[in-house]
Amino acid sequence: MLVRSAIAARPATLVFSVAGQTRNMATLKEIQTRLKSVTNISKITASMKMIASTKTTRAQRAMNVARAYGQVSNDLIKQAEVEKAAGAKELLITVSSDKGLCGGIHSSLSRYSRKHLAENNEVPVVILGDKAKVQLQRAYPENIRYSFNQLGSTIPTYDESSIIASTILNDKSIEFDNAKLVYNRFVSAISFETDAIECYPVSQIVEAPNFKAYEYQEDVLENLNEFLFANSLHWALVEGHAAEMAAKRTAMENATKNAGDMINRLTLQYNRGRQAVITNELIDIITGASAL
Amino acid sequence: MSLIARSLKPAVASLAVRSTAAVAATGVQATRRAYASEAAAAPSGGSGKLIVNFALPHQTVLKKHEVNQVDMSAVSGDLGVLADHVPTIEQLKPGVLDIISDAGSTKYFVSGGFAIMNPNSVLNINAVEAFKLEDIDSQAVSAGLAESQRLHSAAKDEKVREAAAVEIELYEALQAALAGKSK
Repeated sequence: MLVRSAIAARPATLVFSVAGQTRNMATLKEIQTRLKSVTNISKITASMKMIASTKTTRAQRAMNVARAYGQVSNDLIKQAEVEKAAGAKELLITVSSDKGLCGGIHSSLSRYSRKHLAENNEVPVVILGDKAKVQLQRAYPENIRYSFNQLGSTIPTYDESSIIASTILNDKSIEFDNAKLVYNRFVSAISFETDAIECYPVSQIVEAPNFKAYEYQEDVLENLNEFLFANSLHWALVEGHAAEMAAKRTAMENATKNAGDMINRLTLQYNRGRQAVITNELIDIITGASAL
Repeated sequence: MSLIARSLKPAVASLAVRSTAAVAATGVQATRRAYASEAAAAPSGGSGKLIVNFALPHQTVLKKHEVNQVDMSAVSGDLGVLADHVPTIEQLKPGVLDIISDAGSTKYFVSGGFAIMNPNSVLNINAVEAFKLEDIDSQAVSAGLAESQRLHSAAKDEKVREAAAVEIELYEALQAALAGKSK
């Protein structure tokens, strides 16, 4: 009876314990603080996962439509078997976004771009999205001609793609024959792959082996090529967005799972610590009592 | 329903960049036409059907759809495409796209884009916006046309005037399409 009431009074007097036990008190307080913060984090990541989940379904639907649009648009290139000319001047366009917490999305794009730039130092680069810009600016600052931001929070619209395409095409200081759109291809809900869409100049389209079969009004080709460029850019933007949403969902799911594991581990540690403190107090009391 | 006509405006604005180039280029009447120098290698596998892929950036209207004929309004003139038509690349101007199949004819108003007929009897149509004619509100069109005409006459900037001219072309084509439908 005496022992139990002594323990009940314990919490209030914990702070005034002897030096040997102060370390345990401080550690318990630390663990408690850590537990609280990790629980908060796991709540945040769980809700971010939910949001990313809904965004992924919507983004995937938009991606299927944009992919169909882009593939129909590029069918001419495929059927005519357009090839890249040797020594063609290139423009690299990295299709990334402003938002983080999405796993390896942006670093994968930067790695692909940097690898390409290592082999071709002079290639001008246009960056869509701040995340890739930060990474590429460190390695190849002179190559960057344009960077666009305010991308990634919503599904890209054709308006945005046209504006970006127009800006690039209207700037006569950037000379290029081929444009390489580096984007993340959506493979599945848990995986993506960095790939590139190739855009060709009118001169290569006209030289293509199967192009002689087509009839056209000569002045239409330039417009067609600009249209094709905007369409491919739109495809890359929307599919990249879908890949990013899926990767964010996976990243948040992993983060929540890790936070959960950490909570379990910390709780066990806390309980063990608490029990050790109680056992020590008990031993003190009993030895004290038996000494009487 | 005025939402429909108004939502064509962004498409018009985005077209304004390209179309001004097109409008400028087609000003010359005698533009050269390149003819097919080689006949298509293999026509459609004898099925005699025209396969249509009609895609918009935000919607896939038709995918590998078998039809009989497609009538369209191109910058070089109006044309009808049947199965095994000679491969051709046509820039579409704002107008009516008529898809005729065994089930009947469906008319869409397209804001612009490209139609490419391929050697394997596949017709690929990429348009920026397309709406079925019955979804278009004629009163909103008249209001839009009046507004664009007012903007055109009041414009001091060359770019604003050209953009208004593109809008007028669009609204007049819309009116013509709706008038043609009610005949």
